[in-house]
Amino acid sequence: MTRASSPILTPSRRGFLGLSLAAGLVLGLEACGGTSTVGGSSSAGGTGTIKWAWQLPTTWDPVTSSAGSDVQMLALTYDAITALDDQGNATPWLAEKWTYDDSGKVVTFTLRPDLKFSDGSPLDATAVAKSIERGRTQDGSLIAPQMATIKSVKADGDLDVVVELTEVDYQYPLLFAGKTGMVVNPAVFEKDADSLATQPAGSGPFTLTSYVQNDHATLKKNPNFSAADEIKVENFELYPQPDPSTAVAAARSGQFNLVRLGGAQLQQAKDAGLDVQVINTMFVSVLDVNVTMAPFDEPAVVEAMKYAIDREKLKEVAAFGVGDVSYQPFPPGYVGYNPELASIYAYDPDKSRQVLADAGLKTPIKAVFTSSGQSDAAVELTQAQLKEVGIEATIDSIPATQHTQLVYLEHSKALAYDGFAGRESPVQAFQVLFGAEGLMNPGRTTNPELDAQLEKVKRTPTDDPTYPALLQEATKIAVTSFPNTFLTLVPAVIARKGVSGLPTRPSLRRFEGVTA
Amino acid sequence: MTALRNLWRIPTARFALVVLAGIAFLTVFGGALAPHDPLKQYTDHVLEGPSATHWLGTDYVGRDVLSRLMSGTRLSVVGAAEAVIIGAALGVPSGLASAWLGPRLEWLTLRISDTLVILPFTVFAIAVAGTLGNGLQQAMFAIGVLISPIFFRVTRSVAMGMRRQQYVEAAELMGATEWWTLRTHIWSKVLPNVAVTFAQATGAALLVVASLSFLGLGVSPPAPTWGGMLASDLDYLAQQPWAPVFPGLLMMAAVGSLNLLADAVREATGDARRRRRSTPRTASPAQSRHEAQRQTKETARA
Repeated sequence: MTRASSPILTPSRRGFLGLSLAAGLVLGLEACGGTSTVGGSSSAGGTGTIKWAWQLPTTWDPVTSSAGSDVQMLALTYDAITALDDQGNATPWLAEKWTYDDSGKVVTFTLRPDLKFSDGSPLDATAVAKSIERGRTQDGSLIAPQMATIKSVKADGDLDVVVELTEVDYQYPLLFAGKTGMVVNPAVFEKDADSLATQPAGSGPFTLTSYVQNDHATLKKNPNFSAADEIKVENFELYPQPDPSTAVAAARSGQFNLVRLGGAQLQQAKDAGLDVQVINTMFVSVLDVNVTMAPFDEPAVVEAMKYAIDREKLKEVAAFGVGDVSYQPFPPGYVGYNPELASIYAYDPDKSRQVLADAGLKTPIKAVFTSSGQSDAAVELTQAQLKEVGIEATIDSIPATQHTQLVYLEHSKALAYDGFAGRESPVQAFQVLFGAEGLMNPGRTTNPELDAQLEKVKRTPTDDPTYPALLQEATKIAVTSFPNTFLTLVPAVIARKGVSGLPTRPSLRRFEGVTA
Repeated sequence: MTALRNLWRIPTARFALVVLAGIAFLTVFGGALAPHDPLKQYTDHVLEGPSATHWLGTDYVGRDVLSRLMSGTRLSVVGAAEAVIIGAALGVPSGLASAWLGPRLEWLTLRISDTLVILPFTVFAIAVAGTLGNGLQQAMFAIGVLISPIFFRVTRSVAMGMRRQQYVEAAELMGATEWWTLRTHIWSKVLPNVAVTFAQATGAALLVVASLSFLGLGVSPPAPTWGGMLASDLDYLAQQPWAPVFPGLLMMAAVGSLNLLADAVREATGDARRRRRSTPRTASPAQSRHEAQRQTKETARA
């Protein structure tokens, strides 16, 4: 090499600095860029593994699970006795049919033949009866209160499970579509029930092969699953939901191929070439109100608050237009949805002010608004809207891990932003939201009129023509007499890379027929 | 005044002082001079880019970013200053006392200092906020307590060196009281080192305040802080990839300038020529100071 060529190959210090800055700028812009020219189409799949970034369950035991949303993950390894259709009606699953006797106090579930647990042992009526019995009697069971009206459970032959009730209750087929009806292998819980926390023993589409708490779970296809032919992937990996700032990048890179997103990432995911699916769910955002604490011990403040919130704006700004406004706990199309309430507390700040004035309340009214970081934008928008009508709320940030303790168990927060994930049985949903012991009823308010209406609902078969009207009346009573302030319906926004579309059931994500 | 004049002669010090003066100006007048109410939500103009109305754009609920940056300076800086003042108030007197008031107190303060040094800043602040409530005062008190060993060690180091000087011993032999000796001979030598430590600890505290507000601790929303703005910007990178640059630049300028100032103070108060001329075998006061200042740097960096 001649000396003459050296200066060309060896840049000066200033030139090197310039090149470095240019390279850094290019890399930085690339890292920050929202759009991509790199394809990420679903056709690039074929790995046979679903990598689902959603969340990990609080435990793998449905009896001690403490989060309603756990049902999504538990359904990977457990089968429930029944399932729900898109309208929230009970449909066959492990049980191919069920019948109530004339008194309405005895219900017999008839199982499909030849069912097996994942270890190959038979899943028969005896196993189901033992599993239900454990759920309603075990110390520390969190599903026992839902089965308080069960008098006895017994097997009748190999396929029939007879549930005797202390009172008429036609809600059990619905109730058994969730954690309450998930069947746990008796051979496991009779030997070591504690092991279920990390080693599920069910009959669902997958079996757990490894689990690192708060990190990931690895599962493989269960050949003994009753619909194993419909499971098209061999492996399943489960991860917590990634940070919003990295969710799309994680999907693009292949770290995950099924990722839950927020509304803010929806367009970014589309631009990145990912398949985006928006699935309606039962989830509704809600303000939990403790009417034993000031200023919400004054009914006019609660009523004024309901009119003061511009839910359309919450949807537009906080959810980027994803979802819909809601004034009740059920989405349109669900049997309990009452169309009369479609705009009952439509945004009306003048009316809100008038309600406060008519009650003789002086503004500003001071309040504390608790947020555990579910949606900072929604909380801050709500705070500003309340201020417009004279309710000055100070935001109190608490860790998400303390929300249940402070809001639901200690009842120490007057107003809190939260979400309700729905329940399989509408009566169960009413009990959670409005019951005397309801978790999301921090003020423990009760209404005899609602209780009487729910008794009518429970005593009415779900296929009776009067059932929808009775349920919708209960919804109306609850929404108009309880302080819970429903805000918006929150769909599941899912980005897919190389994974086919998911079934659109609102209550549960299922993976039959899904390819990767 | 001589030290200030020496400081101003150093180019990096001039740069740092100008930047810090700007930040101090924002701290005092930022809220009043902000073009918009930093809490006002322009919900029809959410996540917009820079424009004539909103020079740095708007955030996720339509608030003016420039106004929030200007107003947020006060909480960020005051929080950091509060922590450092608490640290100095605890660390300097105990450092002097440790060197001056006998072996029992020395043993006790050293053990407390050693214990505090092993506690991690952010985790301890989170624990305190969780125990005493999520507020800026609680978090800053926790940070101040954890910063205090830095001041303690630097002060003690200088005071120990001074105590062995012949002119100090002579003053004591001639009947000078401990209080007079401390005021006259020790404090003037300790002060420059405390100043260096103060500047560096303020930079560290600024980052801790930002980290805590990034984690949602310390300052409740919607009050603006640099760390809080940075945290919320990260959720909307797809819409505004450049947004974190603004609070990031302010943090970088403030912390960088404080570090530059600390270096410059050390340079301005140390007598380099005397250090070079002195022989290694004699331990002059300047050497002790220099050694203490070196320790200041190392302790603060640790």
